[in-house]
Amino acid sequence: MIQNYLILSVILFCIGILGVISRRNVFTVFMSIELMLNAANLAFITFSRLHESMDGHVLALLVMAVAAAEAALALAVVILLHKHKGNLDTNVFSLLKG
Amino acid sequence: MEHNATYLGLIPLFPLIGALVIGLLHMLTCTKRPLSEKMYGALACVGPILSFFLALVAFFHLKGLPAEERFLAHNVYTWFAVGDLHINMGFLADPLSSLFLLFVTFIGSLIHIYSVGYMAGDKNYGKFFAYLNLFLGSMLILVLGSGPVVMFVGWEGVGLCSYLLISFFSEDTDNVLAGNKAFIVNRIGDLGFVLGMSVLFWAIGAGGFDYLALQANAHNLTSAIGITVCLLLFVGACGKSAQIPLYVWLPDAMAGPTPVSALIHAATMVTAGVYMVARFSFIYAQFPIAGSVVAWVGILTALLAAIFAMFQKDIKKILAYSTVSQLGYMFAAVGVTAYSAGIFHVFTHAFFKALLFLAAGSVIYALHHQQDIWKMGGLKDKLPKTYWTMMIGALALAGVPPFSGFFSKDEILFSALANGHTGIWLIGVLVAGMTAYYTFRMMFLVFHGEPRDKEAYDHAHEPPAVMTIPLIVLAVGAAFAGVLNLPAIFGGSLNVSHWLAPSVVEQHPHVSIWLEIFAILSSVAVVAVGVYIAYKKFGQGAEEPEFTGFAKVGYNKFYVDEIYNAVFVQTYKGFGSVISRFLEPKVTDSGVKLSSWLYQKAGIAFKALQVGYVRIYAIYMVIGLSLMSLFLSQTIN
Amino acid sequence: MYAEWLFIVFSVLSVLGAIGLVLFRHPMSGAMSLIVTMISLAGLYALLSAKLIFVLQLIVYAGAIMSLILFIIMFLNIQTSDLPEEKGRFYYLLGGTILIIPIASFLIKVVKSLPGSQTTIVGNGFGGVKEVGLVLFQDWLLPFEIVSILLLVSLVGAVVLAGKRRLSK
Repeated sequence: MIQNYLILSVILFCIGILGVISRRNVFTVFMSIELMLNAANLAFITFSRLHESMDGHVLALLVMAVAAAEAALALAVVILLHKHKGNLDTNVFSLLKG
Repeated sequence: MEHNATYLGLIPLFPLIGALVIGLLHMLTCTKRPLSEKMYGALACVGPILSFFLALVAFFHLKGLPAEERFLAHNVYTWFAVGDLHINMGFLADPLSSLFLLFVTFIGSLIHIYSVGYMAGDKNYGKFFAYLNLFLGSMLILVLGSGPVVMFVGWEGVGLCSYLLISFFSEDTDNVLAGNKAFIVNRIGDLGFVLGMSVLFWAIGAGGFDYLALQANAHNLTSAIGITVCLLLFVGACGKSAQIPLYVWLPDAMAGPTPVSALIHAATMVTAGVYMVARFSFIYAQFPIAGSVVAWVGILTALLAAIFAMFQKDIKKILAYSTVSQLGYMFAAVGVTAYSAGIFHVFTHAFFKALLFLAAGSVIYALHHQQDIWKMGGLKDKLPKTYWTMMIGALALAGVPPFSGFFSKDEILFSALANGHTGIWLIGVLVAGMTAYYTFRMMFLVFHGEPRDKEAYDHAHEPPAVMTIPLIVLAVGAAFAGVLNLPAIFGGSLNVSHWLAPSVVEQHPHVSIWLEIFAILSSVAVVAVGVYIAYKKFGQGAEEPEFTGFAKVGYNKFYVDEIYNAVFVQTYKGFGSVISRFLEPKVTDSGVKLSSWLYQKAGIAFKALQVGYVRIYAIYMVIGLSLMSLFLSQTIN
Repeated sequence: MYAEWLFIVFSVLSVLGAIGLVLFRHPMSGAMSLIVTMISLAGLYALLSAKLIFVLQLIVYAGAIMSLILFIIMFLNIQTSDLPEEKGRFYYLLGGTILIIPIASFLIKVVKSLPGSQTTIVGNGFGGVKEVGLVLFQDWLLPFEIVSILLLVSLVGAVVLAGKRRLSK
């Protein structure tokens, strides 16, 4: 029974990966990462229910805090990038190309 | 059974250290300010003389022991031990090797002293003595080695030094080519030696691979393997001691300085093959067929070389072919299991042949490097010391009694006859006559009659004392050494044969005394005939003839060198040129170029992966993750 | 029985929301579908008796984080013309799906091999504030402090990054 929750978590995680690799829009990529974090949260809560221990809840709480911090910083970076180049395409930023 | 004698290791060590020191001094000073020749000469002679004293110590040490226990061993260290193969750097002094030690160090020292005078003025003076000391050290390792592997170290060392010394006057390409020829032909023999050693090890090496252990296990050899070992080792001996078919290097080796010819190509290196056969007498004695092969190759070489020597005009080439011929005698002796006779001939031959070479060097030195006997003549009064010592050497070589050569050669011929090898005896007698003929042809043409080249004759003068004293010492040896092995018929007691008995496996057949007298008389008769013919043709002076027919063929050494060149050398060269013109560019080079081309293309392909977009890198990560999951999911079930 | 129906509804909604996020072109629409997913996840937490987390998911995630994202999207005034042309989107999606299948199947296999258990009835207070607080401040104190420092760092970083414009002028 509990396994269904876990399977759902896996499915959401995989959809998140799909979003990261197939979209070029900066926001969509960022939101897919948030989706992956949520899927992980679901897994934590499920396991915590399975073992009847509160550790999973605490971890999910901490993950949420980290996600919030990361969201703030990532969006600040997105604003700066938009100011710099004027478009939201991840393919434009190719300074890593050696 | 062996006694320990830790001074044995010093005997080869002194000349080797000398070589190192002199070599370093020469290298460091030859371009700036060369050291004085006196110093090099002194440094060079110290090593051999010290080795000679130690050889005397070893000899008297052995003499003090009872006959069955005459083995002195010195194990310096374990060289390598792999499985059954356990080789020590060890030295063994027994009667055979101590006899060799004595005359090698003695004649080596004398020739070092002679070279101090002969090589004076040469700009590579130091280098010469470094090489000469190195040679002596290697020869001593060869003689003293306690097993075939250590002997082989010395074997290779003397081959190397032979090459270095033959090509010593390296400005002339012919000398270098002669050195190359010597080394390459020697190498062919060495291959046989190594194969023989390997088969021997494979057959009976499990119980230890030094002489004493091999002798204890030799009865385990089957006849097929034993004969193979004997013949393969003999191939090595053919290379080193210039027998058919590998004798061609020795006449060319006369391109080296005369002391080198005396030491290496007369007295010591070329006798290494005979030493080796005598060392392995415990194998050769088991297989008489192998012995017969050795004996017949030897005596035929003696015959062939004597024919060549009868027509040569270069004084050193006559002596070179004479050496080949005498070596043939020695192999004939050890082939019919008369080991002590062969070794005794090695001993006396070392004295009189070194004497002849040194005296020839003295003549060449006096006439300012003239070597053609048809341009000499009448030097008897101008070079008296040289003349009388050389005459003693010639008498010994020809086998005139009572000089040493007569006793040793006669012992060989008598043993051949006594062991039933009549054919060998007959050819041997014939060759003895030819030997007498060519030796006295040389003596008459060089020293008697009218001088053929007036100007050189006028400038000739006796060489300095440092060169003539060794001649006199050697002459004494050549004259009186026969006393050491007098057979019973002359009142002696075969001292050398008895001395060598613990080292070699030999039977002395009992034959009637009339046979012995017959053998002696036939040798003397044939020698007399040879001397007489030479006197008739050349005693009153003669002019250089035009050779025709058989004489022409003989003078050109039966065109053997040309045949070898056409059959072997050109084939090999053609093979090499095919490889370098077709095989190398098309096959190996293209293979190498293919792999480098592949690397370049792969590099360009991999460069395409570095796109610079993070999304693509994320895709790479996912690809990796998915492959990993594919792999991991196999493990879960 | 109720629980099963609710589970199916919430899970279908969340998956649909996720797929919508991945497929919509305009990020605004994507954000909306993500909010749908968040809310249904909150429902799933409630089904799992995670009372506090359910509330926090709604408040923090769906309320704060998503509204922040929406705010920024609207702040940048993105027109359809600003959006990048993603021509090869469906090919990448297809390729991605092929890549994902092994990962998904592996993870599902792992999950399926866990020992199943009956859903027991949990005691009172499981998942409540008090219980979470107790564990948080006793066993997980150090991570809690570190995360607070992390929040401080991100706060400072955001201020620095966003405020650069003012300083350089």
